[in-house]
Amino acid sequence: MISVNPEVSSVSANQVTDPSQLTAEQTALEMKNLNLFYGNKQALFDINMKIPKGKVTAFIGPSGCGKSTLLRCINRMNDLVDICRVDGSIELEGKNIFDKDVDVASLRQNVGMVFQRPNPFPKSIYENVVYGLRIQGINDKRYLDEVVEKSLRKAALWDEVKDRLNDSAFGLSGGQQQRLVIARAIAIEPKVLLLDEPTSALDPISTLTIEELINELKETYTVVIVTHNMQQAARVSNYAAFMFMGELIEYSDTNQLFTAPSTKKTEDYITGRYG
Amino acid sequence: MSQHLTLPNKNDRIRKVKDQVAKYGVSAGGLMVLAALLMIFFYLLYVVYPIFEDVEVSHESKISVAGQQHNYALGLDEHVEIGYRFTDQPSLEYFSLVEGKLGQTILNKTFDKLDSVSTFAKSSPHQGLFAYGLSNGEAFVVQPKFKISFPNDKRFTEPRITYPLGEETITLDEAGEAIEHLAFSVSEEGAGFLFSTASGVKYQYWVAEENFMTDEIEWQSETVELDGLGSDIQALHISPDLSRAFVVQSKQLNIIDIRDIEEVEVKYQVSVAKADEKVVASTLLSGANSIMLANDQGIMSQWFEINGEKGPELIKAREFVTDNKQINGLFSEFYRKTFFATSQNGRLGVYHTTSEAYLFDEVVTENAVNNFAIAPRSNAALLETDKGFELIRIKNKHPEVTWSGLWQEVWYEGYPEPDYIWQSTSASDDFESKFSLVPISFGTIKAAAYAMLFSIPIGLAAAIYTAYFMPSSVRSVVKPTVEVMEALPTVILGFLAGLWLAPIIEENLPGVVVLMLAVPVFILLTAFAWHSLPAKIKNSLPEGYDCLILIPVILAVGYFSFEFSPVIESAYFGGDMRLYITDSLGIDFDQRNSFVVGIAMGFAVIPTIFSITEDAVFSVPKHLSQGSLALGASQWQTLVRVVLLTASPGIFSAVMMGLGRAVGETMIVLMATGNTPIMDWSIFQGMRTLAANIAVEMPESEVGSSHYRILFLAAFVLFIFTFVFNTVAEFVRQRLREKYSSL
Repeated sequence: MISVNPEVSSVSANQVTDPSQLTAEQTALEMKNLNLFYGNKQALFDINMKIPKGKVTAFIGPSGCGKSTLLRCINRMNDLVDICRVDGSIELEGKNIFDKDVDVASLRQNVGMVFQRPNPFPKSIYENVVYGLRIQGINDKRYLDEVVEKSLRKAALWDEVKDRLNDSAFGLSGGQQQRLVIARAIAIEPKVLLLDEPTSALDPISTLTIEELINELKETYTVVIVTHNMQQAARVSNYAAFMFMGELIEYSDTNQLFTAPSTKKTEDYITGRYG
Repeated sequence: MSQHLTLPNKNDRIRKVKDQVAKYGVSAGGLMVLAALLMIFFYLLYVVYPIFEDVEVSHESKISVAGQQHNYALGLDEHVEIGYRFTDQPSLEYFSLVEGKLGQTILNKTFDKLDSVSTFAKSSPHQGLFAYGLSNGEAFVVQPKFKISFPNDKRFTEPRITYPLGEETITLDEAGEAIEHLAFSVSEEGAGFLFSTASGVKYQYWVAEENFMTDEIEWQSETVELDGLGSDIQALHISPDLSRAFVVQSKQLNIIDIRDIEEVEVKYQVSVAKADEKVVASTLLSGANSIMLANDQGIMSQWFEINGEKGPELIKAREFVTDNKQINGLFSEFYRKTFFATSQNGRLGVYHTTSEAYLFDEVVTENAVNNFAIAPRSNAALLETDKGFELIRIKNKHPEVTWSGLWQEVWYEGYPEPDYIWQSTSASDDFESKFSLVPISFGTIKAAAYAMLFSIPIGLAAAIYTAYFMPSSVRSVVKPTVEVMEALPTVILGFLAGLWLAPIIEENLPGVVVLMLAVPVFILLTAFAWHSLPAKIKNSLPEGYDCLILIPVILAVGYFSFEFSPVIESAYFGGDMRLYITDSLGIDFDQRNSFVVGIAMGFAVIPTIFSITEDAVFSVPKHLSQGSLALGASQWQTLVRVVLLTASPGIFSAVMMGLGRAVGETMIVLMATGNTPIMDWSIFQGMRTLAANIAVEMPESEVGSSHYRILFLAAFVLFIFTFVFNTVAEFVRQRLREKYSSL
């Protein structure tokens, strides 16, 4: 059985066990009857879920189950795929993000995303962090300096890079790069932070650092993380959703999902029968 | 697991052999490429090197000839086997120059009927005529000749003597005064004699007329007296084509127009020496466009006529300053602009006017040089001192080329000022070759610049759009199509540009200009209009196919531009834009101009730039652009700030590869430029490039000649051009890649 991080569990002691019972105030995102098609192939089936505000929610499931696709719906990264079509809605603070009057760019400024592979731009560390601000036209040096320090501190990278902010970001290690990318994402102060398997390309020590970071980030942000590492999901998340073949099978308090799964499929998966 | 640790089996051995073969094969291939490049490099240098070699003068033999008469002139045959001398006997004596028979008289012809000799004259070297001026006012013209035969397959040179104006003397001065100075030339139409006697300078023109009754040739003469020339005559010269005559005095030069016997007069006079100088020697250069003067201060100067503001004027183009104050004679070569200065102290100077080269200046004999003759092939010279004759060998293959002459302005004969000119050959033998690499290097850069001006915006924009915005289904058609363009033979492009495009552009110039301006504007307008259309119409076209609506737009703009071309032309340019440009704007217009070349060569370069740029942009990792988009950047911001930055090494090398191709491109510029080696940035003028120049002139240049070697030098320069471009490109690309490459 998978052990649940006591630190996370202690926090989750007073949390709502069934996320569908979340009040509107506690909800950051709500997906309603979400269906997604790649051409004629349906990839997501009728997803209905509430993502709690200020918590870490993990999507788990075997490869190809649609967890990354679901994550990418939240900041409409799937728009970039020509043949992709979405039905239903995702409400961010009560507003459907698929509405026609929603500006994708400002949606993405509110929903930051960190990818599987660290993807710093070929620029200096400093310019990487302020990239999101610069594209909004913010060029005030003093403000940018402030944001760089604040973001890097939040990403637990400041002490390591404060003396070489103008060096290329490529000089950093993989773990540092991933933290830089997180700093870059939080520099524009999003409401939601999406992490798409953020540690799968990293070594165990870097993974640990990132996991600690996620724990701190949830104080400020709503974090949604996709991971295929169940220990990681158990360690960092408050809620966990198990997906299988494009369907949401089970979604509940992490503790409960790992200790007392309500469906056979979930139990099979977390005990390692398949996946 | 233990299976992996077993001893090498047969497969392992084969694998090892393959590894070794691959290793050495690849190394050998690389080394061979390097070696081939080096060999090209050194072969070019090897062919070019002789043009920068120094002149060598070596003693061949001393010759003592029986009878120490005074000699008026010397000469040699083409193969340096026989020499001759005109003595004061008067006689013409041929003697051998061949080792073993040195100095032996071969033929001695005494002209015993002549009165006493008062002066002697030589025609231009390649005419090879000599004349005695006699103290009774008569003259006698002799031409030494050589007949070459090959008995028993061995060359045998036999001296001959001919008399082009008959074996009798001709009377120059009716009064019978002694001829003091004489210059003459015999052309096909007649013969001209410029001579001075105690009573003045006269010009006499002889013309041969056929008596239609008896068919006999009768010589008629006419004499003109030239006034205003004092008695201080230093020398007389006459151009072989009987157009100009020069009277050299110690301080001034008189130019006489002798083209029309009715109007022979002293045209003008030029002061040629300062107060403390005195002209001591003079000669016409080959081609007789220039006259060389030497003064007693060791300064030699070249003078030629140019068309000045007030008609023709004689100007001093250049000076050769030496410390040899004892120059006593100037001698010009047969066909080249090299001349020799002999002196009282035995020094011999060799100079070339065009290249302004001081080729040689050394003491070659202990005694004063009294007389000098250069062999027709300029490979030997005969000089006479008080102690006898000396034969010297001269190695002077390429006097007309110097490094500075190739790259700096040179003052050519007849030009009003120094200039950069490439004009390598002409029909005449004594043509002054103009080898300046500047105009053709300039042409290369100009052609490349216009081609890049046309191809960089189109190539880069097309590549970026294709790689970044185009849906993959359209891209998979567009990319190979553009790349196939690269396979189009450039000779066809050049052919179409020169024969089809150039006339169209010339006839529809306003239309073409409008087209150039209107196409980008209308593309942007269409894009904007499409963008603001309701989504319903936009969605009726499959995603990405919206670029196709530009095709009818461009066609329509093209059609209307050409349709309205005559209207614009008559409304704004008085009916003919070409005339308007030439007359009102004062810009020359060539049909085959830089505009045509820019388009045609741009067309050839676009696929190179497109293909490499497209690959570079397309291979920017998706996670980088997605990272940018996920931060709320628009597609355009992502493109400009992340994608182009990451692709910059590739884009840079695409441009440099395009430039390298444009610089080396031959057929298009050869066929579409008009090949005029002029230096002018004007878009309406042509140019000649290094590559086209080599292609045009290599077949007609004589192997081993200066021209031939300079073409190799042009090839070498081209090689250096591309080498430098590629090296710089590679260097910058490496730096960019270090900085911007993604992981």
